[in-house]
Amino acid sequence: MLRGVSKIISPELFTIRKLDASLAVLLTIFALGFVGSTVYPVQPTAVVGPLETPPSQLYPLGTDAYGKDILAQLIAGIRGSLQIGATAAAISLLIGVLIGLMAGYKGKIIDNLLMMLTDIVLLLPSILLMIMVAAYFKWRDPLLVSIIIGITSWPWVARAVRSQTLSLKNREFVNLSKMAGLSDFRIVIRDILPNIASYIFMAYVLLMSGAMIAETGLSMIGLGTTQGVTLGNILFWAQVLEAVRRGLWWWFIPPGATLVALAASLLMIATALDEYFNPRLRGS
Amino acid sequence: MSEPLLLGLGLRASYVLRIGEVRAVDGVDIEVPRDAVVGLAGESGCGKSTLVNVLLANIRPPLRIKSGKILLDGVDLLEMSREEVRKKVWGVKVSYVPQSALNALNPTKRIIELVKDAITQHTPATDQEVVSLCKRRLEELNLPTDSIHKYPHELSGGMRQRVIIAISTLLNPRLLVVDEPTSALDVSTQKQVLKMMLDMKRNRIIDSILFVTHELPVLRQVSSHVYIMYAGKIVEYGPADSVFFNPLHPYTKALMYSVMTPEPETRERGLVAIPGEPPSLLMPPQGCRFHPRCPYVMDICRSSEPRLVPVGEGRGVACFLHHSEVAS
Amino acid sequence: MPIISPFIIYILRKGAFIIATFFAFLLVIFALPRAIPGNPVAALLTQIFQQAQANPDTVKAVYRKFLEEFGLNKPLHEQLFDFISRLMGGDLGTSIAFYPRKVADLVASYLPWTLGLLIPAILVAWAIGNLLGAWAAYRRRTRVDNALLPVFLVLSQVPYYWLAMILLYTLAVTARVFPVAGAYPPAMSPSLTSTFILAMLHHYTLPFLSIVIVAIGGWAIGMRVLVIYELRSDYVEYSELLGLSDKKILGYVFRNSILPQVTGLALSMGTVMGGALITELVFSYPGTGYLLFRALSTLDYPLIQGTFIILVSTLLVANLIVDILYAYIDPRIRVSYVGD
Repeated sequence: MLRGVSKIISPELFTIRKLDASLAVLLTIFALGFVGSTVYPVQPTAVVGPLETPPSQLYPLGTDAYGKDILAQLIAGIRGSLQIGATAAAISLLIGVLIGLMAGYKGKIIDNLLMMLTDIVLLLPSILLMIMVAAYFKWRDPLLVSIIIGITSWPWVARAVRSQTLSLKNREFVNLSKMAGLSDFRIVIRDILPNIASYIFMAYVLLMSGAMIAETGLSMIGLGTTQGVTLGNILFWAQVLEAVRRGLWWWFIPPGATLVALAASLLMIATALDEYFNPRLRGS
Repeated sequence: MSEPLLLGLGLRASYVLRIGEVRAVDGVDIEVPRDAVVGLAGESGCGKSTLVNVLLANIRPPLRIKSGKILLDGVDLLEMSREEVRKKVWGVKVSYVPQSALNALNPTKRIIELVKDAITQHTPATDQEVVSLCKRRLEELNLPTDSIHKYPHELSGGMRQRVIIAISTLLNPRLLVVDEPTSALDVSTQKQVLKMMLDMKRNRIIDSILFVTHELPVLRQVSSHVYIMYAGKIVEYGPADSVFFNPLHPYTKALMYSVMTPEPETRERGLVAIPGEPPSLLMPPQGCRFHPRCPYVMDICRSSEPRLVPVGEGRGVACFLHHSEVAS
Repeated sequence: MPIISPFIIYILRKGAFIIATFFAFLLVIFALPRAIPGNPVAALLTQIFQQAQANPDTVKAVYRKFLEEFGLNKPLHEQLFDFISRLMGGDLGTSIAFYPRKVADLVASYLPWTLGLLIPAILVAWAIGNLLGAWAAYRRRTRVDNALLPVFLVLSQVPYYWLAMILLYTLAVTARVFPVAGAYPPAMSPSLTSTFILAMLHHYTLPFLSIVIVAIGGWAIGMRVLVIYELRSDYVEYSELLGLSDKKILGYVFRNSILPQVTGLALSMGTVMGGALITELVFSYPGTGYLLFRALSTLDYPLIQGTFIILVSTLLVANLIVDILYAYIDPRIRVSYVGD
């Protein structure tokens, strides 16, 4: 009885409010990143004013130690970070979903081997792996950084996709397709993928926030992209040039706060989706 | 007739949800006499598990009691606080054995630890006394005494179920409530479990059993009285022999025929074999709740709801087919 | 019947897996510089050789040592064999930036600071996070949970080093309550006196807090969900109907929910370590993060490699310890199924 009831309980109001607030934050930051430079057309890399000026009417977020405008850097940084986050998340997702589907659907030896690989990568901390790989590249464009982040962040996606595939592959509709003589590839595309689509979307959202944080970590240790501006990049220069000890708060607070707001709103969206799609969390 | 052990009167209980009110128990009277095995049968989703929780006074949101009384030895359980019920009733006067023995025990505690935690809530026994009490009881019931020192995962399913029944009744409660105690077990283990419960009643460890199930054949073997529940209401009750011999309500008949099917497969699925779906308790059908599935449906069934009326021999039925008989 | 206890089998399996992981990791470390186009190690070698004109003697020595250790002129399988056999003998090579100091000695002198920061911080955050998460779960749908959950969610997304910057700015630079850099006052030298220990703790507070505060968020989120699931399990209801008190039942629930969190401890250590290394940079804390940064900025490949090997070994050993602990506290692993 109770189990039947829990299926029809509507999602909680709290979740919906959380989702609204997160979407608002996310859209604001997106807008700043993508429309900001037309409204505020200042070159992020150009020296535009006096050194280390606090926020003022002329420089809304002040200037850095070279006299470059921080708001302009922040706008470019959001775009750069989002770009790396989106690309890296796509790479991880691709690897994770492929491995998870193969392991779960094929089973047996393939499953054992792939899961062994997954567990090994899972055991090795991804941020250390990233640093290790990045250290050997002298020049790192955003794509390379995305690849480095992407190829080290997929294991948990693979595990989750595998277990979902396992539970799907013995369902009646999959058996029907098998009897109809459909190829494995078509069964996976037609029957399995659509059923884990909501999970995949959630995983992408989480991977993206993880990738943006990873980018910042790489940048902080000096291994971020050597081209263009990212949020991590701004923080790196603030750190190297001692912005904290010299009290230049406008240099390191905005990029960090933006990153946290971005990552947290993405996580809240994923959590809200999870509460919506995952009946285990609902009910009393 | 002596005073019944447990008496539920005018019970109404609902799950209060945002989308509305699910009336899972909708005006139920039920009586468990002393020295009896009362069966409560119905399809899954008919509200019988909810009724069990109500009778145990185990009420938690979103479940709410709308009205009614539960008299245990004449004392109304619904007047007591949850704490009081927990201290003075559960495990002491009324014990409950859950549906799934598999997950009913804390997986990381030895069974004896759970028993100690439970018994010491009710009586000031020392650990030593609890252990010997427990061992004596297991011996009496022909269960291996070392099983109490094991973890749940070390016992087989049937053994776990029997051990649960044994530890639930250590303090000799008057009433044992069992919810589908055998549905997960194979036939021979089922028999052992049923025999053990009847032995316990014979040995006066317990007085009465309230046996909830969707499997009528099991009830036929053990019960002295039966209640048939449909969509939150009792549709028929009476002495087991009489009801099984001559079922009056079309639903009871359907229940019996559906489980009489010899093929084990249909028996497995049990009552699913009755055509049609059990109704939504959120918006039950107008009139008699069984009318959309009833082969004998009449015009009056669609518009008004039959009351549960006595028809003699201690039996009662809620069906217009038999109302007219009574009237004529 | 002489059966080996499942506990031993479990530990052997975990141990074998961890050793396999270690070798897989060594293979990656070995292959990375050699697989990347234009072999960065060879490039560095050329660069050192060109510098030899300026300061012939030392640079030549560095060059020879480096050539010998990386053995780039030998065939690949011999290089791998040399690499592994030197490692097994405890030789991690010689640093370029700190020539002629050995990598192993260098890392050994920085590692204690990192571990001293990391281990207490991880354990404290784990304990507090689990307690808070359980509290939020128990108070689900009340003001407590509604207020705590978003805090946990946001905290879990804060990079350690950014919180470090904020704490440094507010509590050290502005309020001047804590020192702005280092692990102890530069004028002091490490000793076991109470003055030194107090000064050290004073320096320790902010790095420690920045790791603890952030890590609490993740643990609390995990524990909250685990407890919510656990509270709904059948044994909770049955125990209550046996008459057990809430206190006892919550004890059961807490204990059972914490088991997966012990496994989580093993998996999360790497992430915390990564964050902590960067946090050290913010505080100029003399740990391996600081050493790694120096090595990275001077392209000191032997030192980079050695630091990673030590860090990963430490993590793997910690993992094994946690796994053994887990097997010990979870009876489902410790005690086998012996039913019929």
